[in-house]
Amino acid sequence: MGGLNTALLIGVGGLDAAQGALDATSNNIANVNTPGYTREEAQLSELPETESAGQITGGGVSLEGLQSIRDELLNVQIQQQTSLQSAADTESASLQQAQTYFTSTGTDIASALSSFSSSLAALSANSTSSSAQQGVLAAGQNLASAFNTAAGGLTGVQTAANQQIPDTVSQINSLTQQIAQLNGQLAQVPAGEGGGTVQDQLDQAVKQLAALTNISVTQTNNGETITTGSGTPLVEGDQSYNLQTSTGTGGQLEVLDANGNNITSAITGGTLGGALNIANQVIPGLMTQLNTLASQFATAFNSAQAGGTDSNGNAGGAFFTGTANLSNAAANMSVGLISAAQIAISSSTGGGNGNVANLSAALTSTLPSGESAADGYAGIVFNVGTVASNASTQSTAIGDNLTQLTTQQGAVSAVNIDEETANLMRYQTAYEAAARIVSTVQVLDNAALNMGSSTSF
Amino acid sequence: MRIDPNIVPEMLANLQQSQVSLDTALQQVSTGLSVNEPSDNPTNAAAMVENTIQTGDLDVYTQNVSTALSTVQTASSVLSSLVTSLTSAVSAGTEGANGTNSSTDLASLANEVQGILTSAVTAANTSVSGTYLFGGSGTTTPYTADASSSTGYTYNGNDDTNSVAVGDQTSVQVNLPGSQIFSSSSNNVLGALSSLVTALQGGNSSDIQTATASVDSALNYVSQQQVFYGNAETQLNSQETFLEQDKVTLSTQANSLIGVNESTAATDLSQAETDNSAALAAVAKVLPNNLLNYLAPPA
Amino acid sequence: MTCAGAPDRNGNAAEYLQLLRSLAGEMERAMRAIAHNALPDLEESVATQQMMSARLLVLADELSAPLESSPAEFSPAASPIKIDDDMMQQVRVAGDALQTLNRRYAALLQHSSRSVTLMASLFNSFQGKFKEASGPRLKHQTWSCQM
Repeated sequence: MGGLNTALLIGVGGLDAAQGALDATSNNIANVNTPGYTREEAQLSELPETESAGQITGGGVSLEGLQSIRDELLNVQIQQQTSLQSAADTESASLQQAQTYFTSTGTDIASALSSFSSSLAALSANSTSSSAQQGVLAAGQNLASAFNTAAGGLTGVQTAANQQIPDTVSQINSLTQQIAQLNGQLAQVPAGEGGGTVQDQLDQAVKQLAALTNISVTQTNNGETITTGSGTPLVEGDQSYNLQTSTGTGGQLEVLDANGNNITSAITGGTLGGALNIANQVIPGLMTQLNTLASQFATAFNSAQAGGTDSNGNAGGAFFTGTANLSNAAANMSVGLISAAQIAISSSTGGGNGNVANLSAALTSTLPSGESAADGYAGIVFNVGTVASNASTQSTAIGDNLTQLTTQQGAVSAVNIDEETANLMRYQTAYEAAARIVSTVQVLDNAALNMGSSTSF
Repeated sequence: MRIDPNIVPEMLANLQQSQVSLDTALQQVSTGLSVNEPSDNPTNAAAMVENTIQTGDLDVYTQNVSTALSTVQTASSVLSSLVTSLTSAVSAGTEGANGTNSSTDLASLANEVQGILTSAVTAANTSVSGTYLFGGSGTTTPYTADASSSTGYTYNGNDDTNSVAVGDQTSVQVNLPGSQIFSSSSNNVLGALSSLVTALQGGNSSDIQTATASVDSALNYVSQQQVFYGNAETQLNSQETFLEQDKVTLSTQANSLIGVNESTAATDLSQAETDNSAALAAVAKVLPNNLLNYLAPPA
Repeated sequence: MTCAGAPDRNGNAAEYLQLLRSLAGEMERAMRAIAHNALPDLEESVATQQMMSARLLVLADELSAPLESSPAEFSPAASPIKIDDDMMQQVRVAGDALQTLNRRYAALLQHSSRSVTLMASLFNSFQGKFKEASGPRLKHQTWSCQM
């Protein structure tokens, strides 16, 4: 397989980038913004306890307090994982669609390449037969058509993702406005009263928001501060800030904050992150590979044509046209010959069918990309399959993780710190052992290459 | 009944997972393929691209070898008969040159050689399935009578040779043009026979001897040309064997890449159906009717 | 084993195949256990997986050794027989399925162990006690813990 196109690598790494974001935020669960409270105190010092009216203050947090913190920690994780899940689902859905254009169906590029190759081999046995010549012309048209379809399919997926982007931004803005309003309402609630339903509505809205983009939620005295990207404010207390979309210089959609700053690359989660990755990274990467293949193959084949003479006695003209512009070579590829008699069968030095072998060779020769046409296409199939598979794997795995977190959240039992800590240690141990098994299984994959060969088994 | 909110996400997750497994198992059994989309196994799907192309080509190559063999074998046998006829012509010429023949005898010998010339032209005009074996790439009768020609015949074909693809980047030349075999400037078979006829009719022993020597030379020449077809036949036969082996290799490879073991697929399907039924039953127990309606496909 | 030291490749291949499938089953079980927070179930499954993968490594080693390395002094009756194609095909398919599952397993472990680490850090921070916020909304603590 040839090297992955760099843009595609970025696309594949998009999901990993989201993981990186998770790592970064996990180091700082929430900002502290309470008077008299410092982080150092929280972690390192032991404070004297005072007890009054049965309530411990100024010292250690009560078990109920820890329970609520634990629940909030779970909330934060659920938010983050919801963002990731949503991004993975969005990408997975797009890529499932995209890969249908690279599945063996009889009209895909692989089948078309195969028919084209076969038609040329048949032509070599019956070079003057007009039906054999027509067979090559028709197979060439099918091949161009297959490239058109694949390009159209990818463009369609990109268009759909591009439609999702402004739609999602719209939803985000609507939610942030709601949240700001709810924050305002909550601030009016007198001290001591729970403000239950408003709080629930707020939690629900935040959860929905987390599915749309990556967010970071901080509790402040004025309510929740919610940011996205690398700190772009969405909600501060009862104030919300809208996001906008615009079209960048390359024709790609961008997300801007309320001040018009481009925050596209910092959106890594949620439906928005997923759609951006698909539209701006993954699909363009695949399109580039497809266009390069179409362009280079057409050039190589036309060159073999030019080196021969057709049945009318003329030097071979361009078999394929429409591939001069790399940005849409695959979409525009078509057959330039008007009749099958224009196929350059003879070598330029005389009659016979000497040039047919050269035409066939264009399918197996190495293109400027470093691979043959078949291998170049195989590489695209591999890339599409890999990104689609990764998105699906992540989606399922994150789903399992979310189930785990949601289950923990609902657990009613009071937290026994020692027991829970011990359990966590046991989980760590189990995960470490499991990780070693994962590595072992990967080693088995390498060993499998040597099995069933003619020298073993 | 109060729903435990914790169970629902898990059960729905299990249900969805079992549904996916069921769909996969069904697809595998019905298609016989374990790789239906690139994401099923990207490596194998990619490797199948080359396999698909090679398998398609292989069928054509096999066909080409078969057709080419028939052509080449026919040509070889035609030339073989021709050599035999030329041997008779040489005998006739030798006899005619011995000086003991009457004019009737000479006339008779001349007729015999004329007959051989006619059959040589017929041989040169052999066609198989509408294609002339010895006309180059020409589509009209290679040799026609031409009184203005010194040999009495004109070559209407061309010098083209054709190569047939019988393997990847492997071609076999399958013809020699008539102009090389029958009417080459160094050894014109038709011309030699024609002059022998003339010489026998003329009766001059020395002329007959000379003409006979030309025919003898032509005979050797044709034997050499036949070697080309013999070699081509050998090449084609060994290629035929190779293609048969290659077909098995490609078929085995395809199966190992994307094929599915039938008994395994059937077992997997059975297991997936059981799991799915169990998951559905579990959900049905817990969820009230309105949520079940939510799960059912829209009407 | 047909004779001392002679590898019974047919038997090994069959065992290998069975283990591949069983390990896949155990991985599914482990993933379910994680999702359900069933710790004992997870630990049991992982222990089983450890045994299975150890045995798989040993078998893989034997099965990928070239035939030529078999000493000539064994009698023809004991020489390694070629494993039939059907068996090889099943091994390949089972191996591929396991690899796919392994990727999902790896992703889930990555996410879940992060969750566990976060929670563990929270409880460790609790050992150094920290102050509650006072104010109208007691429920909304602000806190941080260093990882």
